[in-house]
Amino acid sequence: MTNLPDWLTDGRNSATLAAMLDPSSSSSLESLAIESRALTLRRFGRTMTLYAPLYLSNYCSSGCAYCGFASDRKTPRRRLEPDDIRRELTAMKKLGITDILLLTGERTHNADFDYLLRSVDIAAQEMQRVSVEAFPMSIREYRALADSGCTAITIYQETYNRERYEALHRWGPKKDFIERLETPARALEGGIKTAGLGVLLGLSDPGEDALSLYRHVRYLGRTYWRAGLSVSFPRMRPQTGGYEPPFPVDDHSLARIIFAFRIALPDVELVLSTRESAAYRDGMAGLGITRMSIESRTTVGGYHDPENNGKGQFDVFDDRSAHEFCNAMRAKNIEPVFKNWDPAYNGPADVNNTILHPVKPQPCL
Amino acid sequence: MDYLQLGSYTFSSRLILGTGKFSNATVMLEAVRASGAQLVTVALRRFNREQLADDLFSPLRALPGITLMPNTSGASTAAEAVRAAQIARELSGSPFIKVEIHPNPQHLMPDPIETFEACRILAKEGFLVMPYIAADPVLAKRLEEVGCTSVMPLGSAIGSGQGLATAEMLNIIIRESNIPVIVDAGLRSPSEAALAMEMGCGAVLVNSAIAVSDNPPAMAGAFAGAVDAGRKAFKAGLMPKSSFAIATSPLTAFLGAKV
Repeated sequence: MTNLPDWLTDGRNSATLAAMLDPSSSSSLESLAIESRALTLRRFGRTMTLYAPLYLSNYCSSGCAYCGFASDRKTPRRRLEPDDIRRELTAMKKLGITDILLLTGERTHNADFDYLLRSVDIAAQEMQRVSVEAFPMSIREYRALADSGCTAITIYQETYNRERYEALHRWGPKKDFIERLETPARALEGGIKTAGLGVLLGLSDPGEDALSLYRHVRYLGRTYWRAGLSVSFPRMRPQTGGYEPPFPVDDHSLARIIFAFRIALPDVELVLSTRESAAYRDGMAGLGITRMSIESRTTVGGYHDPENNGKGQFDVFDDRSAHEFCNAMRAKNIEPVFKNWDPAYNGPADVNNTILHPVKPQPCL
Repeated sequence: MDYLQLGSYTFSSRLILGTGKFSNATVMLEAVRASGAQLVTVALRRFNREQLADDLFSPLRALPGITLMPNTSGASTAAEAVRAAQIARELSGSPFIKVEIHPNPQHLMPDPIETFEACRILAKEGFLVMPYIAADPVLAKRLEEVGCTSVMPLGSAIGSGQGLATAEMLNIIIRESNIPVIVDAGLRSPSEAALAMEMGCGAVLVNSAIAVSDNPPAMAGAFAGAVDAGRKAFKAGLMPKSSFAIATSPLTAFLGAKV
């Protein structure tokens, strides 16, 4: 069995975060909130960047015990064909969305790399910014995605507790803990500009997972100095398949994790999805979170045809319209930002992706 | 009159505003008006032609007496910045381009090598090039040599509110420069803006300090007053600093007296 990398087991640089995460520590939740708010305001101003997920396919080859799309679920399987994707994009653009996250399950012949690449290509023609949350890929594949206009990938480790990870991922390609752990680095190596990390809160001890996640972010930042990094805080919600999270994370504990991450990583984008309630999201806006999803449909084809959509990957808690969400942000004196990127900046993050002229060899005298 | 000259453009205001980070476009526009700024910068990535409610460019363009300076924030290489500059000129019609190239999207420090290359190309293409740079006196001269209209060194890290942490280097840049030096980034208080102007900066650019204040238009007005005071003080000539008290009746007056 491959050993865990040093950066994951070395706790020397995460002592301050560990102290903030400890609920019995001297830093009260309120004092963390005050500092988190000040840092968020200073670095990100009074804005909230918005994106929306687009589920391309719910075919999956893995057996993640907690997921509504695991391969043993009875859920009807479907994938979007190019025309379906264009219809979904049109429906999303009508909602004002310019920044999308394309999702698939683990790699299958029904939704493989070529399918994903074609989908990115279509999306990049319509949208200002395209991110991908799919299966782990090779460096060469990530490079091709970046060339097609994918600027960011999201890849959650789910849990950094190896034993629990291997028990929860019952079969399929996702079962390999180390392979998963090395995926964000491969994406950045391939020229993807931003890597989004996270743990699925509820699967394992949240304090331990938060520390490991922090070490992962710091390791990637040191190693890939051009990397954009973002951190998400998905909390287990009722899934298709009825999985009960063994380590439920309550509102206060999640807040403590978010504030501690903002303080420890003052300039990193922190993301909160529609898994959380409207009240929780409104409360967190300005206190640490800088990027939120809106109008989420977690079903395949849910934008063009919201009625006929079956069961999603998880139930959306905050189901407000973009309009309602924006009004709530404005009431908090926060500007919702739909476009915060430009395709002029698409392409691999790479020192070779530049127009600097190479030094011409001098003739020998 | 004491004008700021940038290319063929003259400005009576020496306060330039950034337009990100505001809670809404109305407050941003009020702050721009209250600041008296005639030159404002807006990021190409915040241009949204398909959804005007999300667009920062159109409401700014509608303001009378404002010249727009698009910026390339989001670019991480010279190639991306040049592409962004060309698109921004097409969309805005402005000859100004604020070159911002930050390969690390967390700390947003400018890349000197990519910035130099982008500025060299854009100056040749006829842009009025305004590069955001670290406070590096040599880089500032290199950028002047390739035809930049001004240099915009940071006072301290962007959004940090640490003021003029780079003052020593800024003094060298100002002393050596033949083009206006504009402090961009890091200012927190109007007094810091006044200090930058007293040091001889041609202008200052402020965004966060105004946008995240509780009352952005009032803070914009405060910065305008400070920039004006600092500039007047610079023009009037500050008295030299001395470590010693200088008596008005010199202690050495007796020397050389007739006996």
